[in-house]
Amino acid sequence: MSERPTPDELTEAIEEFLAGEILATLEDQRLRFRTLVALNALGIVRRELAQLPPQDDAEQRELAARIRAGDVPVGTIARVKADVEQRLRIASPNYLDRYSDE
Amino acid sequence: MIADMREALEAVLGPISEPVLLAGGASKEAWAVDAGDERLLVRRAAGGVIHRHTLSLRHEFEVLSAAHEAGVLVPRPVAYIEDLDGREAFVMERLDGETIGRRIVRMAVPERLPVQMAEELAKIHGLSAERLPFLEEASIERLVDELDDVGEPHPAIELGLWWLRENRPPPRLPVVVHGDFRIGNLVVDESGLVGVLDWEFAHLDDPARDLSFALVRAWRFGVPEKRLGGIGDAEPYLERYNELTGFDVQPEELDYWEVAGNVGWAIGCLTQAQRHLTGQDRSVELAILGRLGAEVEYEICHLLERQGVT
Repeated sequence: MSERPTPDELTEAIEEFLAGEILATLEDQRLRFRTLVALNALGIVRRELAQLPPQDDAEQRELAARIRAGDVPVGTIARVKADVEQRLRIASPNYLDRYSDE
Repeated sequence: MIADMREALEAVLGPISEPVLLAGGASKEAWAVDAGDERLLVRRAAGGVIHRHTLSLRHEFEVLSAAHEAGVLVPRPVAYIEDLDGREAFVMERLDGETIGRRIVRMAVPERLPVQMAEELAKIHGLSAERLPFLEEASIERLVDELDDVGEPHPAIELGLWWLRENRPPPRLPVVVHGDFRIGNLVVDESGLVGVLDWEFAHLDDPARDLSFALVRAWRFGVPEKRLGGIGDAEPYLERYNELTGFDVQPEELDYWEVAGNVGWAIGCLTQAQRHLTGQDRSVELAILGRLGAEVEYEICHLLERQGVT
């Protein structure tokens, strides 16, 4: 499964936000210092993430292409929904609870 | 820069108060100014990229003016300014009321709000297309192109597009549509609907599509049991709309276009994230939409299952 933004891209976005938008507004020296420390910590996370193997989206590409071609056998939706659920457990775990009554 | 802008505005409006920046989107700015007793809002282009399929401020002002003349509840248009300190802008009335969706669904909104929404939409769909010759016709096929531009595999969106192709209701004659008619683009207070905002997506389209956009779950702002934007039921809304337009839109058409609205927004999440990823507008808010789009994809699966897809 492949997801954009990747973990590295998300971390980079947080880094830019802290360095580019937040830091300039901070007058409290302790908060400035801690924000710089947080940016260092994010740098560690990014370097760690860079060592992970790249994501493989071949299977999703193949599935997407088959559906585009109109090849939608029974069971397709169950499989697609299970994949989306798996992504939601990372991206927005509480979202699934909102469907519990339906 | 504010001084230059103020001078340019005063050339049109007479003496005004110091402009105050209300919100800075990537593509539009909103400034509050007062000219005597008049509370005004200046909508001005921002530095960011102008997106495909959105109107220029000149055209948006023309649509707003046409809507105002037709009696649609909108901020009164005041003036279009081609060059406001280097960018195009227009001035309109600044309405009082709530526009934040998450707050509106928690307000004690009057029961007639769904009916009022239907009444405004009926007036919008009656606007003369000849008066607005720059409006383009949209098709759901455009969604496929937008998804292909993103270039990521999303089987749930493909499944939604497949279902939309297989179950298309008979097309209706295109009318002038708002294009983004939902809670979040309406001004609401305790007495009900105050105004319809954000006309930049106006185009020509199937009226049932515009009618159904407010049903999309993402615009229910955490109150999913109220299908119409988290504030009410779809039935009185549909009934009043049909009463006024005579279009006799069927509940099945609402279901169809609700799926289409979700497919459109699922792709919208990806294209918003692309703005960040390609460096057009770097923003953590845009970036995270790339992941939150999975919520909309789940809703697509949920709706298709309810339609009997196995």
